[in-house]
Amino acid sequence: MDYSLLKQFVAVTATVGLYSVLYKENKFYRFWEHVFLGLASGWALVILWTDVLKSGWYEKMLGASAADGNTAVMGYWPYMFLLPIGLMAYTVFNKKHNWLSRIPIGIILGLYSGQQFSAWMTYYGPLLNDSMKPIVPNTAEFFHPATVVPGTVYVSDALTNLIALLTVISVLTYFLFSFDVKSKVLHATSTTGRWLLMIGFGAIFGSTVMMRFTLLIDRMYFIWIEFVKQGLLHMK
Amino acid sequence: MAMDQQAAPLTLAEKLQSLPKPMIYGILLVVATIPLFFSVKLPNKCIDPSIDFYAQAMKLPDGSKVIICSDWTNSTRGESKGEMEALLRILMRKNIKFVLLSIGDPQAPQVAKDTIREVTSAEELHGGKHYKEFEDYVNLGYFPSGEGTIVSINNNVRSVAQGKKDFPEGSGPKDALQSPVFEGIKSVSDFKMFFLVTASSTNRTVLERLTNCPMMYMVSGVMVPENTSYYASGQLKGLCGGVKGVYDLENLMEVGINNPGPGQITSDKYKGESIPGWPGKTNTGKGTAYYLALHFTLALLIIAVIVGNLGMYLSKRRAN
Repeated sequence: MDYSLLKQFVAVTATVGLYSVLYKENKFYRFWEHVFLGLASGWALVILWTDVLKSGWYEKMLGASAADGNTAVMGYWPYMFLLPIGLMAYTVFNKKHNWLSRIPIGIILGLYSGQQFSAWMTYYGPLLNDSMKPIVPNTAEFFHPATVVPGTVYVSDALTNLIALLTVISVLTYFLFSFDVKSKVLHATSTTGRWLLMIGFGAIFGSTVMMRFTLLIDRMYFIWIEFVKQGLLHMK
Repeated sequence: MAMDQQAAPLTLAEKLQSLPKPMIYGILLVVATIPLFFSVKLPNKCIDPSIDFYAQAMKLPDGSKVIICSDWTNSTRGESKGEMEALLRILMRKNIKFVLLSIGDPQAPQVAKDTIREVTSAEELHGGKHYKEFEDYVNLGYFPSGEGTIVSINNNVRSVAQGKKDFPEGSGPKDALQSPVFEGIKSVSDFKMFFLVTASSTNRTVLERLTNCPMMYMVSGVMVPENTSYYASGQLKGLCGGVKGVYDLENLMEVGINNPGPGQITSDKYKGESIPGWPGKTNTGKGTAYYLALHFTLALLIIAVIVGNLGMYLSKRRAN
C-alpha cells in the first residue's frame, strides 16, 4: 500500500501547525514544534552511533571478519584509549573533577590551532592576491573589443579595479582608525568606508529576504501543488 | 467615564503604519501561492558564476568521478533541493560517478539520498540510466568534524572512507572502499571536482582546507554575496546561488552555451566553444517553478516598504 498521500498530509499539517504561530502563540504550534525537536534529536543520536562512533571507532577498534563480500579488518586496540579521553569531557559537570575536562578540550584546541595556520593562508591568500589589480590602463580602448587581447587593461577594467581598490582602502580605514581622527582626509575615507559597508549589508539583507521568501514559496508549492493538485486531485 | 470619550478616527498616515500583521501575512501567502499555478517562463540573463558552473560541469569527462558534499536539509529545501536536482541531472546524464558525504548536519545524507532517488526515477522515465547506490554513487554518511574531515580528504581520501559502510537497497552493508566509485582513486586529485551544496558555514571550512581538488559551490541566496568574492578570486571554478542560480542552470541545460537557436545564451568567456544543452529533456525544476512567485513576493515587499515610508512621511508632515 502506498502511504505517500498520508505522509504528505502529515507534512502539510505540520507546516500549517508551524505557520499558525504567525497568527498567535497556540498549542497546535507547540505540539508540532516539539515533534520536530524530538525527531531531530532522535535522528541525530542514531546517526551519532551509526555514522560516527560505530564505523569510525567501535568497529575499527574491534576489527571485522570477512563476510558478505566485505574484507576482513584487523582491530586497532589503541583506539580504546579514546573512550576515557572522550568521557573526561563530561567531568565538566563535577566541581571536584572538572579540571579533567580541559584535557580533551585542549587536544581539540591544539588540533584546530595547528590547522588554522595553513587554513588562514589557503583562505585569505587568493583573496589578497586578487585585491592587487592594475588601475592604470595600457590601452585607450574603453570597453572590451570582440577579441580580448590577454594582458591588456582596458579603461573600463581600470575603472572597475579602481573602485574595488578604493573600497578595500576605505573599509580598512574605517576599521583601523575607529578613534576620533583629526585628519579630514582620513575622516572622509573612513566615512566612505562606512557607507560602502552599509551598501554591502543592504545587499546581504536583500539576499536574506529573497531566501526567506523562497522558503515560504517552497512550502506553498508543497501544500498546493504537490499535495492538493498532484496528490489529491491527480492533476499534472 | 473613559467610555464616553470616543476614540479619534485614525488618519491615513496612522492607518498605513498600523496594518495588522495577520493581514500582511495573509496577503503574502496569497501572493506567494497564486503564481505557482501558472507556468510562465520569465526573460533571463544568465550571470557569469552560473555560466561557469554549467560550463565546468559539462567539461567533466563522461564517466569521471566527483565528490558531492551535501550539507543542506529540508529547512532550506526551497533553494538547496533545486540546486541538488540540477546538479544530479547534469552528472547522471554524463554518467559521472560520485561520492556523497556530509559535514554539515546529521539529517543531510538522508535528505540527499531521497533527492537522488527522486531524480534517478525521473531520469529513468525519460530513458536515462538508473543510478544505483554503491555502483554509481557511494554514500559515506555524516562526519561530525568538518575541519578534520576535509583535511583528511585533502591528504588521504581513502582513509576517510575506510571503515565506512554503504547501505544499498536490497543488500547488506558494504565497505565503501569496495565500491566501483573508489576504483582507481588514490588521492583526492583523482576526483575531477568537489561540489559543495550547502546552506551553512561549511563553505568556509572546505575553502580553507581543500587544496588538491577544484571546487564549485551551490549555496543559498543569503550566502551569495560572501561566496562571490571566492568566485572572483578564482578559488571557486563556478558558483550557483539561490533560485536565480537554479533558474540559470535550468535555462543553460535547455539551450547550452553559444548554440544558435531560440533562447540562445552566449558567453564571451567561452567564445569559440559550443557547450551543448539537452533540449527536449526535462530540464526545468524548482527554479522555473518558483521564479515567478519570487518576483511577485519581492514586488509586494517593495510596495510594503513604500507604503510604510509614505505613512511615516505623512505623519511627520502632519506633526509639523
